[in-house]
Amino acid sequence: MAAPSLAVDLAPGNPRELVLANPVIAASGCFGYGLEYAGVMDVQRLGAFVSKGITPKPRSGNRMPRITETPAGMLNAIGLQNPGIRGFVKKYPKIWDAWKVPAIVNISAESVEDYAMMARILDELPGVAGIEVNISCPNIAAGGYCFGWDAAMSADVTRAVRAATTLPMMVKLSPGAVDVVSVALAVEDAGADAVSMINTLVGMAIDVRTRRPVLANATGGLSGPAVKPIALRMVYQVAAAVQIPVVGMGGIMGLDDALEFFFAGASAVQVGTAVFAQPGMLIRLIDDLGEWLSSQGVGSVQEIVGAALPAGLPSRRAATEADVEIDFAAAVAAG
Amino acid sequence: MVELDPILDVDLVGAGGVVVRAREFDSRILAVEPVMGDSALLTLSLPPGMAGSLRAGQFVDVLCRVEGSYDPLLRRPYSIFRADSRTETMQLLVRPYGRGSAWLASRPVDTILDVLGPLGNAFHIHPRSRNLLMVAGGVGAAPLVMLTDHALADGRNVTYLMGAADADALLPTSYLPSDVEYGVATDDGSKGHRGFVTDLVPEYLRWADQVFACGPEPMFRSLRSVSSAHRLGGKPRIQVSVERTMACGLGACLGCVVETKHGMQTSCVQGPIYDMDEVIW
Ligand SMILES: Cc1cc2nc3c(=O)[nH]c(=O)nc-3n(C[C@H](O)[C@H](O)[C@H](O)COP(=O)(O)OP(=O)(O)OC[C@H]3O[C@@H](n4cnc5c(N)ncnc54)[C@H](O)[C@@H]3O)c2cc1C
Ligand SMILES: Cc1cc2nc3c(=O)[nH]c(=O)nc-3n(C[C@H](O)[C@H](O)[C@H](O)COP(=O)(O)O)c2cc1C
Ligand code: FES
Repeated sequence: MAAPSLAVDLAPGNPRELVLANPVIAASGCFGYGLEYAGVMDVQRLGAFVSKGITPKPRSGNRMPRITETPAGMLNAIGLQNPGIRGFVKKYPKIWDAWKVPAIVNISAESVEDYAMMARILDELPGVAGIEVNISCPNIAAGGYCFGWDAAMSADVTRAVRAATTLPMMVKLSPGAVDVVSVALAVEDAGADAVSMINTLVGMAIDVRTRRPVLANATGGLSGPAVKPIALRMVYQVAAAVQIPVVGMGGIMGLDDALEFFFAGASAVQVGTAVFAQPGMLIRLIDDLGEWLSSQGVGSVQEIVGAALPAGLPSRRAATEADVEIDFAAAVAAG
Repeated sequence: MVELDPILDVDLVGAGGVVVRAREFDSRILAVEPVMGDSALLTLSLPPGMAGSLRAGQFVDVLCRVEGSYDPLLRRPYSIFRADSRTETMQLLVRPYGRGSAWLASRPVDTILDVLGPLGNAFHIHPRSRNLLMVAGGVGAAPLVMLTDHALADGRNVTYLMGAADADALLPTSYLPSDVEYGVATDDGSKGHRGFVTDLVPEYLRWADQVFACGPEPMFRSLRSVSSAHRLGGKPRIQVSVERTMACGLGACLGCVVETKHGMQTSCVQGPIYDMDEVIW
């Protein structure tokens, strides 16, 4: 039997498409700009990687401590330390342009206009394969209420970015949303090519000796195996509702975790925290997935996507119903 | 000093302009010696050729859990205590403190560990420095032992000062080369000076061309205060190894930064060794 196909297009509705050789992506904030890991692993073998979140202006980030370990997880409050869109553009895309692996740029902002401004700058930039819009950011115009918690605000950002660029666009959903399905449907309607989920959950840890929060920022984003059941549930709910691809993440440590996300309806997965512990696991995951598909006699990873959804993937459902109608029409004509 | 970008990558420039190539490798525990009270000195196997490339001040990140377990999730950084290119081994000094170190310090011989390294920059000995002063607090002794080995091999003079809670927690003289002057301080006075190791520092500051320190943050605070009156024009220069909680060890997560006069730097790649006067404390 031929080797199973691992390929996936994360922007099937976009002529600029985002075709990955395999569905394993290094998550934003956990892989720097790709270069940091180039010495320890073969970065080019990844399906793609997502850059650290880029903001309109340079940011020096939060005070220390910024990270702390929690049971089977970690909290981070890095504070989006990055060189800003202009500093970023000067340095990284030209390096990525010579790379085989698609580089996706994660953008964060505090106003709709700033998201659009960054998207315009990235639009025709060689080396940039797509955009991931991080909507887990405070909206200054809404008194700091997080864009991603509200369907209408999430749609506003998506629409503005869509108007600013034709690049493949993935909108990264926040698990803090009151109703994550309505946010997903709203960003789909506003022109997102895919959704990725989940970003970290807001949490905290307190040092019992000092009686103070461990993180200088008091709260931080929880990631790692501890969040996996929540992430999986959200992917399952969203994948049952939207037509566009869902990229799942949250606590993936190896093959079985990734398979759970595929069965829940994710067309691809991202891995963050696990890479800190074991950089080699990304490549192992790609290999393990290929071997597992072969062992199961499955020809393509896309065949298993949504296996756990009672009614399958909506996009497939629509295709099947359409096929049936055409067949019916053909049968009538023939009769 | 090379001016480093705050979000520098290992491969393009690396620490001090040297390309650092870390690897994730399996390492076997070849020996475990109890030392310094409840600490353990582990002798670990290295991939061929690595031992000779290790520099004093560098560290490795050890995964302190068994396959299939997620706790503790992240690796723990340990300074290289000594490296031997003849036997292709290195030693780590581990003080059982919390979950990771307690696990590591109690591993039996022949355990295979998942190690990422070598990581970080290194202490820098100026070519003209003849007299070097080491200031160690507790397990901060580790990287200064390797630095002492290298300095003596180059024909320099070393005074090694160490502080610990009590006599039992001091590094035994047998672990240091014989031509090192060794001065000690203990909190309870059970050996050497009663008090802080930093109390011993001022009398050596005129002798020393450079000072190298590793220990807990409060030790750096007292080092700064005891040395300020005795240093003229910032001389002798003092290099310190700082400790930050780390996740990736590769400059990617920005969780371990140190604020310096050159901006935010990742202590895992651009550190952990800093000129004391360049850090914004
Ligand atoms: C560059 C570098 C080199 C290091 N070299 C060595 C070395 O050679 N030998 C060695 O034993 N350790 C060394 N460490 C420290 C080591 O990495 C671990 O932090 C330490 O072993 C404790 O880990 P743990 O899992 O046992 O504790 P954890 O379970 O992580 O910690 C338990 C609690 O103690 C706190 N804590 C952790 N460490 C300390 C500390 N030192 N002082 C006060 N509170 C603390 C934590 O915040 C946490 O709340 C080094 C650290 C760095 C950054
Ligand atoms: C240290 C750290 C930094 C992160 N930075 C970003 C970021 O800049 N932008 C973003 O969209 N997500 C960021 N994330 C979230 C991750 O991309 C991911 O959504 C989350 O960690 C869940 O996946 P995991 O459990 O595999 O880590 C960060 C996560 C961590 C741990
Ligand atoms: S530990 Fe991740 S940047 Fe230093």
